[in-house]
Amino acid sequence: MAGPDRLLPYLAVSAALFALGALACAIRRNAVGYLMGIELMLNAANLNFVAYGRFRGPEAAAQGQVATLFVIALAAAEAAVALGLVFAVFRTFRDVDLEKVRTLHGD
Amino acid sequence: MLLFWPMVAVVLAGGAGAVFARNLVYAALSLGVCLAGLAGLYLFLQAEYVAVIQMIVYVGGILILILFGVMFSRDVLGRATPPSLGARILGGFAATAVLASAGRLAWLVSSLEGTGLSTTRTPTSTWQGQIATDAKFHLGRLLLDGWLVPFLVVAVLLTVVLLAALGLVRKDAT
Repeated sequence: MAGPDRLLPYLAVSAALFALGALACAIRRNAVGYLMGIELMLNAANLNFVAYGRFRGPEAAAQGQVATLFVIALAAAEAAVALGLVFAVFRTFRDVDLEKVRTLHGD
Repeated sequence: MLLFWPMVAVVLAGGAGAVFARNLVYAALSLGVCLAGLAGLYLFLQAEYVAVIQMIVYVGGILILILFGVMFSRDVLGRATPPSLGARILGGFAATAVLASAGRLAWLVSSLEGTGLSTTRTPTSTWQGQIATDAKFHLGRLLLDGWLVPFLVVAVLLTVVLLAALGLVRKDAT
């Protein structure tokens, strides 16, 4: 398929996605909502890897795609650990609201 | 080109839904739409293998994990706790700052015509040699050649993560 032949549209989509992810991390009080924001930011980075590589040339295109594959693998590992943490937090606090998890908060 | 902008709209609408939906189940499903749209964008960049992996690992795996995690929420089918005013202001400020700086950077990079990074791409049909004829083969060679050590480290990491996740959810863990 043929997309735009300029780099800017891809970078703009990536920037918008990253801003949405940062916003989710700021306004979500639920741990799983927070995790979704992190996934959005990771995907923005992935899009940048593939786009920059594709516009740099054949060798860089393959390198960028390999870097993206690694980020996807690490994101899967991160999601598994995050879900384990959410489970542990839920069992201790009966809730996954990040504002209520403040056992170490000194007051 | 005809399909590109609708695909961008799908990605951004899905992302906005994942951030703003009050119901977390809807937010997770919007995130799935956004991730599938991103796989479509990879097709426009001739990264078919990455698009397939994105669908299998993200939409098929991570999204299921997230939907499972949503079920721990107190407000599965109701409305999530609304963010406080301070969080809204901070989040709006941070998101605007990120968008402005990343957009400015994207604009600067895309105006660097003819300084090493080409901002207009060449069609894959003009690429020479093995990469052009068999890109997937080249990806596999790259993984087992220059990226071999990171590849093995990720394999070990996935094993460790599997055991750690099991340890976290064990019944007698505190």
